[in-house]
Parts: sequence; C-alpha cells; structure tokens
Amino acid sequence: MEKKFAKLNYYEMLDLKPDATLFEIRHAYNVSLQLYQTDSLISYSFFSPEERKTIQDLLEKAYLTLINEKKRQDYDEELIRLGVLDETAKKPVVKTPVSVFDINRAQGKTGPIKNATVALRAKVIENQVISEILSREEVSGPDLQMIRKELAVPLEHIAQETKIRIDYLHGIEGDDVQALPATVFLKGFIKAYLKCLCLEPVDEICRRYMNRSAFCGGKA
Amino acid sequence: MAHIWPIGGGKGGSGKSFLTCALGRLLAGLGKKTLLIDLDLGAANLHTLLNIPYPAKSLSDFIRRKYPSLENIVLETPVPDLFLISGANDTLDIANLPYEQKIKTMRAIGKLNFDCILLDLGAGTSFNTLDFFLISQNGIFIATPEPTSIENVYRLIRSIYFRRIRQYFTASDFKALEEEAVQYFGNGAYAKPECIMQMVQRIYPETGIKLDNDFNNYKFKLILNQLHKQDDAGLGPQICKLIEKHLGLKIDFSGNIAYDEHVHDAICQRVSFLDRYPYTRTAGDLRELSKQIIYSAGDQLMINYS
Repeated sequence: MEKKFAKLNYYEMLDLKPDATLFEIRHAYNVSLQLYQTDSLISYSFFSPEERKTIQDLLEKAYLTLINEKKRQDYDEELIRLGVLDETAKKPVVKTPVSVFDINRAQGKTGPIKNATVALRAKVIENQVISEILSREEVSGPDLQMIRKELAVPLEHIAQETKIRIDYLHGIEGDDVQALPATVFLKGFIKAYLKCLCLEPVDEICRRYMNRSAFCGGKA
Repeated sequence: MAHIWPIGGGKGGSGKSFLTCALGRLLAGLGKKTLLIDLDLGAANLHTLLNIPYPAKSLSDFIRRKYPSLENIVLETPVPDLFLISGANDTLDIANLPYEQKIKTMRAIGKLNFDCILLDLGAGTSFNTLDFFLISQNGIFIATPEPTSIENVYRLIRSIYFRRIRQYFTASDFKALEEEAVQYFGNGAYAKPECIMQMVQRIYPETGIKLDNDFNNYKFKLILNQLHKQDDAGLGPQICKLIEKHLGLKIDFSGNIAYDEHVHDAICQRVSFLDRYPYTRTAGDLRELSKQIIYSAGDQLMINYS
C-alpha cells in the first residue's frame, strides 16, 4: 500500500491540481497532516507505525518541494519530461483585469433599447418620403400615419410606449374630430406620438398639425 | 429480482439492527415490498425491534429442513409491506453455519421475490458475515465516530477484500500466493489484501482483471451512526477518501445519523423510533438515507466458489 502511495506524484499525494496556488498547497498539507497524524481518528489503526512514518515523511517532502518556487519548477519540469504532467496544465491562465466601463465601445452597441432608438432616428433622416412630408407647411393625420408606416412601427407599440389610448391615436391619424380629446390634451398627445417616432423638431411639427386651415382642433 | 442490501459494521453496538429496522420501515412506507433477514446468527434481535417477541418460525427451521423454502418462514410484521425472516429461537449451534447450509441459504435469498431485502449481519469478521456481505454489490458499512468502531470497520473492509480474492482460489493455491506475497513484501504482507492483490495481478493476470472488475463494480456505502454534536461531520468523507487512496476500494459516504437518546427509549418500549419521534434530527437523517439508498442499487452477485 505504501508502495502505491509512494508512486503518486506530489500533487496527487496532497490532492492538488497542478496549478495550485501557495495558499492551496499550505491548506492541503494541513488537511493531510490531520488525516495522517498519529492520533487521528480517521486513520486510526489503518497503518502500522512504520507505514505512517513513511507517509508523513513523503507528505513533508512533497510539501517542502511544492512550497519552494525553485524546487517546484524543477519538479514540474521533471514531471513534464516524464509525461505525467501536461505542459499547459502547469501554469495557471493569467487573468488580466477586465474594465467594467469600456469607453471605447462602439456606439449603438450599448444595449437593445438604445439600439432601437438609434436605428429609428437613422431611418427618419434617411427616408425620402418622411423628409418630404416634414418639409411641408401642414402635416395632416394621414401624413403621420404614412410616416409611421414608413418606419414600420405598429400603432399598438406607440400606445404601449406613450400610454395613450389607442382610439385617440386612431383619431389623430384619421383626423377624426369626434374621437379627439380637448385641444390642450391633444397637443400633449401629438408631442408624445412624435417623440415616440423620433420625429424632430417636436414643437414645430406639432404646430404644423394643429394650425392647419382645414382642421378645427379637438373638442372645446 | 430483489435488491439486496447487506448491512454490516464490524463492531457490535454500532446500530446495525436499528438501522436495518428503520430502513425497512421506511422502504415499506414507500410502498416497496421489503424483507428483513436476521443473519446475526446466534444473536438475533430484529424480531424484538419489530415487536414480535415470539416468532412462530425462524431461520433454523429452514436450515433443519422443517420447511423446504425460505418463503415458508417469512413472517408478517405489524407494519404493512414489511416482512421478516427471524433468527429467534434458533439452535444453539447456528452461529457456526456449515458451508453447504450457507451456500443453500444464499441461493435461496437470491431467489426470493421481494422489492428490497435488507440483511442484518452480525458483528465481527466471521466467514458467514463476509460471505453474506458479498452477496450483493450494495453492501452498507456502519460505524460510530469512535476509534474502536473505526478500527473494526477498517478490519471488516479489509477482510471482505481479502475474502473476495480468496473466493477465486483453492486453499492450496491461496496458501502459495500468501507465501509469495510474504517473500516479496516482507513479513506482515499476509494481513494486507492490497499486497496479495498485487501478487495476484503478477501471477494470475486473468484473475487479477476479474477481481479488478469486481472491485470497481462494488457500490459499498459508509454510514456514520451516533454522531454527537461535538463530533466532526466531515469524518465520513475523509474515511472514504483514505480507503480509496490506500486500498483502491471506492466507498461512497452516504451520510451521518445524529445521536439521539430517544433511540434508547424507543427500543425499551419496543415501538418504532420513527413513529414515536418523527421530528427529531435522527429521524430526518434516517429518512434522507433511505431515499439515497433506494436510488442507488447495483447488481446482485452470486458467488461462485471454485
């Protein structure tokens, strides 16, 4: 049995991984000392006194080798040469600090929500139809609907984002005077609608919608 | 085929019979048809723990051929789904069961039709105990966290190891093997099964491979019983580690059972500890163990003597 134990390499003797740190080695040595000391309950009667002495000596030798940087390096090289140890397993992977806030990160990669807004804004600028509508003197309900459809945003999404009831939104897009709320609310609703679609400048477009000659605004 | 769990522990008083009885009750409670066999020949107790003071039939009746098969001597117990083969009122020489009777009993046990069979083995390392322990791969060792008990459980594990090797050889071959080992490893090697094992691998490589297979397939378990508050709960895993490292035998640590004075009361009153004190730590430990044990069943292993 002690023959078998003696055949183990130092790492196996102490139940260590080849990349164990000094702290781990010290801890493992303490644990095995408790296991193999003379009055240990665990190994009581398991070994004869000579066997125990041999094991204790081996453990001490293993510990003294591994705890010494120079000796450990020599021992590792010996093990690698014998093919017991893999060269890659020997050295721990060097951990470099990871920065939490990376300023150099490319814009638009920060998160899914911002990503969507940025994409929407880009679409508004690029889209010819939208630019044409926005350059007009007056903006009507069907115009807003066309912009929304160009941007491929469902009305339900706007209702969800702005918390405006969907029948009001239908009214805004259809110029349906009966369905619209009082002017003071209507202005707020239109601004929220425009903000949700990233259409700028909000106040100016809102004014163009409200001040149409054919539009008499919401209920009084 | 039934799953057989022999329960042995080396030292007397470590709780083999109590554990057998408690596990039996728990397994029966889970709806498994469970049989307890009292193989503590000559010092049978299980019937008392199950509150059957005067069993009508016992193992002796089978051995003395009063009944042709083991099924005839199975007793019902007050617990539903739990059955007992008692060793009470047996002949005074039953402790020294002759070889043929032992083989006959073991074969009969293997043929029994139950879901679970628990064998309560006696203390010590007599051949009867060892052979009954080796009937299945699921042997359970039980010890208490005291040097005396741990000493005896190591002794039992070594004896079982030894017995398994011995079963592959005739007496004269084995004697030669022992002498060979003493010559090679020096004096004292005959007491070390691992030395003999090395000799086997050297001289009879085929048998060596078979034995290696056997030992790898064993699913022995260790349970530490009567763990007091001040005892180290990490003792069990360390014992298993030591055995694996130095004997090459893999033993799983199943768990600790807390010490409880109420066990004594329950035995004195001859009631089930689990029923009387279900909310004690000990009862919880036992329930946990029964679950673990039922999910880990190896194969049965009828031994061929050469």
